[in-house]
Order: sequence, then C-alpha cells, then structure tokens
Amino acid sequence: MLVDLLFTCFAVFSVLGALGLIIFRHPMNGAMSFLVTLVSLAGLYALLSAKLLFALQLIVYAGAIMSLVVFVIMFLNIQPDQLPAEKTKVTYLVAGGVAVTPVAFFLLKVINRLPNMPVSFADEGFGGVKEVGLIFFREWLVPFEIVSILLLTALVGAVVLAGKREKNK
Amino acid sequence: MIHDYLVLSVILFCLGVVGVFARRNFFTVFMSVELMLNASNLAFIAFARLQQNMDGHVLALLIMAVAAAEAALALAVVILLHKQTGKLDTNVFSLLKG
Amino acid sequence: MEHSTFYLGMIPLYPLLGAVCIGLFHVLTCKRWQVPPLVYGLLACVGPAMSFFLALRVFFELRALPLDARFFTYKAFTWFSVGDLHLDMGFLADPLSGLMLLFVTFIGTLIHVYSIGYMSGDKSYAKFFAYMNLFLGSMLILVLGDSPVVMFVGWEGVGLCSYLLISYYSEDRDNVLAGNKAFIVNRIGDLGFVLGMGFLFWAIGSHGFDFLSLKANAHMMTESSILIVCLLLFVGATGKSAQIPLYVWLPDAMAGPTPVSALIHAATMVTAGVYMVARFSFLYVEVAAAGMIVAWIGILTALLAAIFGMFQDDIKKVLAYSTVSQLGYMFAGVGVTAYSAGIFHVFTHAFFKALLFLGAGAVIYVLHHEQNIWKMGGLKKKMPITYCTMLIGALALAGCPPFAGFFSKDEILYSALANGHFFIWLIGVLVAAMTAYYTFRMIFVVFHGQPRDQQAYDHAHEAPLVMTVPLIILAIGALFAGFYNLPAIFGGEQMISHWLAPSVADQHPHDSFLLEFFVIATSVAAFAFGLWVAYKRFGKGAEEPVFTGFARFAYHKFYVDELYDAVFVRPYKAIGAEISEGVEPNMTDAPVTGIARLYMRVGTLVKVLQSGYVRVYAIYMVLGLGIMSFILSQSLN
Repeated sequence: MLVDLLFTCFAVFSVLGALGLIIFRHPMNGAMSFLVTLVSLAGLYALLSAKLLFALQLIVYAGAIMSLVVFVIMFLNIQPDQLPAEKTKVTYLVAGGVAVTPVAFFLLKVINRLPNMPVSFADEGFGGVKEVGLIFFREWLVPFEIVSILLLTALVGAVVLAGKREKNK
Repeated sequence: MIHDYLVLSVILFCLGVVGVFARRNFFTVFMSVELMLNASNLAFIAFARLQQNMDGHVLALLIMAVAAAEAALALAVVILLHKQTGKLDTNVFSLLKG
Repeated sequence: MEHSTFYLGMIPLYPLLGAVCIGLFHVLTCKRWQVPPLVYGLLACVGPAMSFFLALRVFFELRALPLDARFFTYKAFTWFSVGDLHLDMGFLADPLSGLMLLFVTFIGTLIHVYSIGYMSGDKSYAKFFAYMNLFLGSMLILVLGDSPVVMFVGWEGVGLCSYLLISYYSEDRDNVLAGNKAFIVNRIGDLGFVLGMGFLFWAIGSHGFDFLSLKANAHMMTESSILIVCLLLFVGATGKSAQIPLYVWLPDAMAGPTPVSALIHAATMVTAGVYMVARFSFLYVEVAAAGMIVAWIGILTALLAAIFGMFQDDIKKVLAYSTVSQLGYMFAGVGVTAYSAGIFHVFTHAFFKALLFLGAGAVIYVLHHEQNIWKMGGLKKKMPITYCTMLIGALALAGCPPFAGFFSKDEILYSALANGHFFIWLIGVLVAAMTAYYTFRMIFVVFHGQPRDQQAYDHAHEAPLVMTVPLIILAIGALFAGFYNLPAIFGGEQMISHWLAPSVADQHPHDSFLLEFFVIATSVAAFAFGLWVAYKRFGKGAEEPVFTGFARFAYHKFYVDELYDAVFVRPYKAIGAEISEGVEPNMTDAPVTGIARLYMRVGTLVKVLQSGYVRVYAIYMVLGLGIMSFILSQSLN
C-alpha cells in the first residue's frame, strides 16, 4: 500500500511540476518547478528498484544539470522585459494539447497491449551500481566510450561558443 | 502496476511536447526537451523492471549523458544569444525564412 | 630481350621533362627574380641533345641487328585494357622510326640552339622554350609510338604545340586567328585519323593493335575496308601535312616565330603525315587505288603550292608554300609506292628547309622583323654566311645536282615514271621548274641587286654566332645528305632505301639506266630553266611588280581562303547562330526553363510555410507526429 501511495504522490508531483514548467512565464519559476518533477522522477526510479539511477537522477540531473541551468538563468540576470511577450500562450497551450492528443492516444493504446505486472521490490542484485556497471562495461562498452567523446566534444564546443572572442576575427 | 508508470511517462512526454509547441522562452523550451528526455527515461526504467533486464538502465544513463552534453551546448548558445540580442526569444532565429 | 631497351622510352621523355622543368622553374621564379634567358635556353637544349645521342644509340643498335629482325620495342606501362582492346604505352624502334628519330632530334637540337639567339630579348623566353621542348617530345612520341593510338598521342601533342607556338605572339589578333586556323583545320584531319583508327580496330584490332600485329594481320582485311582505312588515315595526313584541301593552315602558320616555322615545317609536324602513310605502308600497298589518290593529291598540291609560291612577297610565305609543295612531292612518292623515296625526301627536306627557314629567320632578325622581300635587297655583302648557307639551301630545294634535294626529288620522279604514272611525273617536272623559279626569285630579290630600304640596309649586320653555326651545320647537311641514297647510276648504293626496306613495303621499279638518265636530264633541264627565268627577271634587281590577271589571282591564292570562308565557315557560323538563336531557346532550353519556372512557382507557394521560426518547425513536427499516430492507432485495433 505504501508503494502505491508513494507512486501516486510522486506521479502527481511530477505532473504538477511539468505543468508548472510549461505555464510559468519566468524561466526561474519554470526551472524550480521542473526540479520538483526531477526529484519526483528520482523517487519513481527508486520505486522501480533502479538504485543507481535514483542516485544519478538526483546527483546529475537535479544536481548538476539543473544547477547549471539555474546558474545560467541567474547569471544572465533576466529582466521581465527581456522575456518574449507571449500573449497567445494559452491558445498555443490548448492547441498543443489538441495536437498531441493523437500521440498520447496512440501511445496509451500501445501500452494497453503490453503485459502488465504489479511492481514489487525486485531481487537484491537488480539495478545496483555493481550490476549496472558490469553490464555497462561488458556489453555497452563502445557506446559508453562514444558518449564520453560526445561529452568532451560538448565541453569544447561550449567553451568555444560561450567564450570571449576577439573582434574582427 | 507497471502500466501506471508508462502512462505517467506518456503524460510527461506530452507535456514536454506541448511546452516546446507553445512556448517561446528559450529556457522553457530547453527544459521541455529535458522533460521529454526524462519521460523516456522513466519508460526505459519501467520496461527494464518489466523485463527484469538492466539494459534499460544503461540506456537511461546514456540519455542522461547526452542530456548533459546538450545542456552544456544549449546553454552556451543561450548565453551567446543573450549577448547578441539581449533577448531570450526563439523567434529571434529566423534565418531559415523562405 | 638481349639488351635493355629502357632508353627508348627516355628519348621522348627528355624533352618532355625539359618542358616541365622549364615551365615549373619559370613559374616559380618569374615573380621574384629575373633569371637570365640563357639559362632557359641551355636548359632547353639539353633535352633534345640527350635525345639525339640516344637516337644515335638506337641507330647503331639497329644496325647491329640482322636485317630481318631490325626492330626492338619497349613497353613503358599498360595504358588501358578494355575488352578486346589492350593498349600499352609502348615504343617501337625500327629502321623507319630510327631514321626519323635521328634527324628529328638532330635538327630539333640545332633549332633550339638557334632559338637562343633568335629569341633573345623576347619577354616570355621561358614559355617559348617550354613549348618547343613539348613540341619535340610530342613529335618523338609520334615517331616512336608502337601503336596507332600512341602515335595519335604524339599527333595531337604536336597539333596542340603548333597552336601554342603559332599564336605565340598573342598580342596580335591575327596571330591568334592563325593559330586557331591551324588547330581547327588539323582537327578536321584528326577526325579522319580517329575514324580510320577506329575502323582499323573494328576490322583487325582484336588481334593486337600495335603496328607489328597489325602488319601481321593486315591480310585478314577485305580490299574495300583497307581502302576505307587508307583514305580516312590520309584525311588525317592531309590535315597534318598540309595537303589539298586542308593545306590552308600552313601559310598562316608563319605567324609564329621563325624557329617555330623551321621546326614545324622542316623536321617535325608536317612530315608526320608522310611518316604515318609510310608507317601504314603495309595497308597502302594492298590497294592501288588508295596509293593513286594519295599520289594525285600530293602532286596537285605540289603544283598548286608552287603556283602560289611564285607570287608571294613575304619571305616566310614563299618558304611556306615551298614546304607545301615539297610535301606534295613526298606524298606523290609514297603514293606511287616508293615509300623509301618519300621518306628520303623527308630526310633531305628536313635539312634544307630548316636551313632556309633559319636563314630567313636570320634575315628577319637583322632587319628587325621585316618580312617583305620587296623591302630587302643587296644583303649579300652584309650577311655573307647567311647568304652562302641560304644559297646552298636554295640549290638543294630547287633540285640542283649534287645537292640533297636533287637526289630525293629525282628518286620520286623516277619512281613515278618507272611505275607508269606519266602525268604525275610530268607535273612533277613542271613543279621542279617552278620551284627553281620561285626559290631563286626569293634569293635574288633578298640578297642581290640594290638595297630597297637604305636605312634598314645600313643597320643590317651578320647574325650572331649562335645562329650562324646551326646554319653552317645544316648547310653541310643540305650539301651531303643526298649522298646517303646515291642511286646506282652514280655508283651509289641507295643506302637509305636498303635501310628502310624492313619497315616499308617498297616496290622497287626495275632499274632502267636509260629511263633514269632521261629523268635526271629532264629534272636538271627544268631546274636550269627555272633558274634562268628567275635570273632574267630578278637577277639584276627588280621593282615590286603589280600583279594583274592570272598573277593577281594566284597572288590571292586563288581566293581559296575566301572560298572556304564562304562555303564552310560562314554557313557553319550561320547555322550556329541559327541554332543558338532559334533552336536553343525554343526547343532545348524551353523545357528546362519551363521546369525551372514551375519549381519557382511552386516554391513561392510553399515558401509561406518556411517561417524560419524554430517553434513553427516544432509545431510541424508535432502535427506530423499526431497524424502519423492517428493513422497508426487506426491500424492497431
């Protein structure tokens, strides 16, 4: 029962956070709201016995990436007049909702065809650091290395893009 | 039930799509994309639980790494954009206008 | 293969390398510092000289071989191999190409040396020598090529270089037009060559396409196909060797610098046609009709060019028409199946014509590029060496015994008569008289009498040593080259005929002492008559004549250029203009532009969708995804 309760809580919080993200005007508010979603998702991961991902969601996503986003938002010191005036936001939100309905409908249909099972805590060895790490370095070594190169590229790219550049060059 | 997780992931994904669809604020659009990525992560992990197979976790990890790379670049672009125009409007980019 | 034949490939390589070196050297240095022109000149002479020494080696090695196996080949690399056609970049040395090699490289080297003097002071000295080396290299490829295709490479190479060199003084539009003319007329001939080559390949090419295989397989062809091949190849020869009807480019080719004229007219390019016919003699000898056509076109060209030559007032044009005329003799020779006589005339002609051109070049050089003979006169005293050497050349050209031209011309005329072609012989004798006339007309007007332009005369002086030495060497050649093929009547052994016997399908007439004596007597009489008339009219100095009647007609070269212009060039241009104005915009361009316009219209309609905003594209994506999902969910039930 506790599991169901926790799931309901996390689900409601994550949806609310996501709604907040797409509704709040100021990105700072949006980011805070999105943070709620991320933390709730971490909880959901924990419910799904993904221990490593639970930790990483908190550390990498909610910790590193979001703090980077928040940092940039604060660094730019955004004034309300710099934000785009979105007067037709509500219309667009409704239109987007309508446009996305068939997608949701289709996905739900697909989900309905999948086998269902109750979620209980899995075996001891499921989703731990060691187990995921073993799979990672045995079967997914090449994608892992490629992702490391991607991160390096992104690092260099970010420095090049955002760094100071001399004029007329 | 595992279906609930999947339905939740669909809802979050659709909210992310709506965010990209409806908003012009650069940060919000960016975070909506992140939201979609997270929704897919949730789906992956739910599937991993369903199949008792940890490949889903690995994929979720890779997605996180990609999201981190994307965040770094996207934010660099945002800083540039802000420097250049002083605005945070995705409509500033219209070079592709036919 | 007992001995290495690698050096055979080096022969054309040296001048080609020279061309590349000079060109690169010039390009690399021309911006920064001034290289003394002598460096280029010496650099340019090295390649031909090396080739000459290798040609000597080829000659002696050939001579060491037994008579029936006097050839060797060198395969540089496989050029391409497609289906039946397997082609090597191969070189063939046999008596024919050995002889050609020898005098081509020898005279080429002398002309290069001479050019050092003649071109001094020219601003694109390096370019000139690069072209000259390229020209010589191409000619050597032509001579050495072991298959028609390799030969064609050289054939086109000399065509290209002649174009480059004729329009060398490219500041003047006329020179460029002359170059264009040479190139285009040659192209017509080349088409014949290519077609002939293709036809030959179609007939017997699958058994190997080098000359040796072709020769071995020639008997497999039918007579009519041989005739077609022969005539098509001869079209190529008329282009390159300036025969009727494609001779028109050669007089205009005088626009180039004089050493170029000497190189084109004496040693290399124009003899290519004769050489080619001799190369394919195994085909020509099969069909008498082909030979007859060649001989008649040759002798008619000789006649026509001699008529033109009598009325020219440009020293180089006189020589140009004499070249055309002598080439006519050569074709008459190879046409009456006296291939060795034809090649022998090529050989002697190379010496005395190079000599005459270089001598004329010396005159032009000291008179500061004055070419009109009616502005010269009395130069005998000022330029004794040039005078003496040119006199030797003129005697050789006119066919005075015992100079070189006499023996070779006599050989051709004798072969014609002995093989039963009376009219060809008769015209030949007539042309001989005319040759003597116009040659000595030129000599008398230029060197004898009183100076017509006193100021130019006063400034005239003997040409520098670097120019006179080649003249003297060539004069010795023009004097003695004929003795190599001394006919039996003078106790000679006809060395060249015997030498060439393995390469060409010669048909020796039966030696008839009486007939030969008769031919010689008429030739000498014709020469004497021509000389006498020339002396009568010009020996004591003469005024520039005013041409009337036939002379005027001949002075304007029978208006052949104008005729060609009216019959071919203008209609061709008109058709071209018609096509470019009428057909092209309406028939070929219209659908293309129509389609382009259609796309533009549709594009303007669709353009509205391309707002350029990121979000709008996202909306399209979501809409597309929605539609796709909708369709998929329909099929899911």
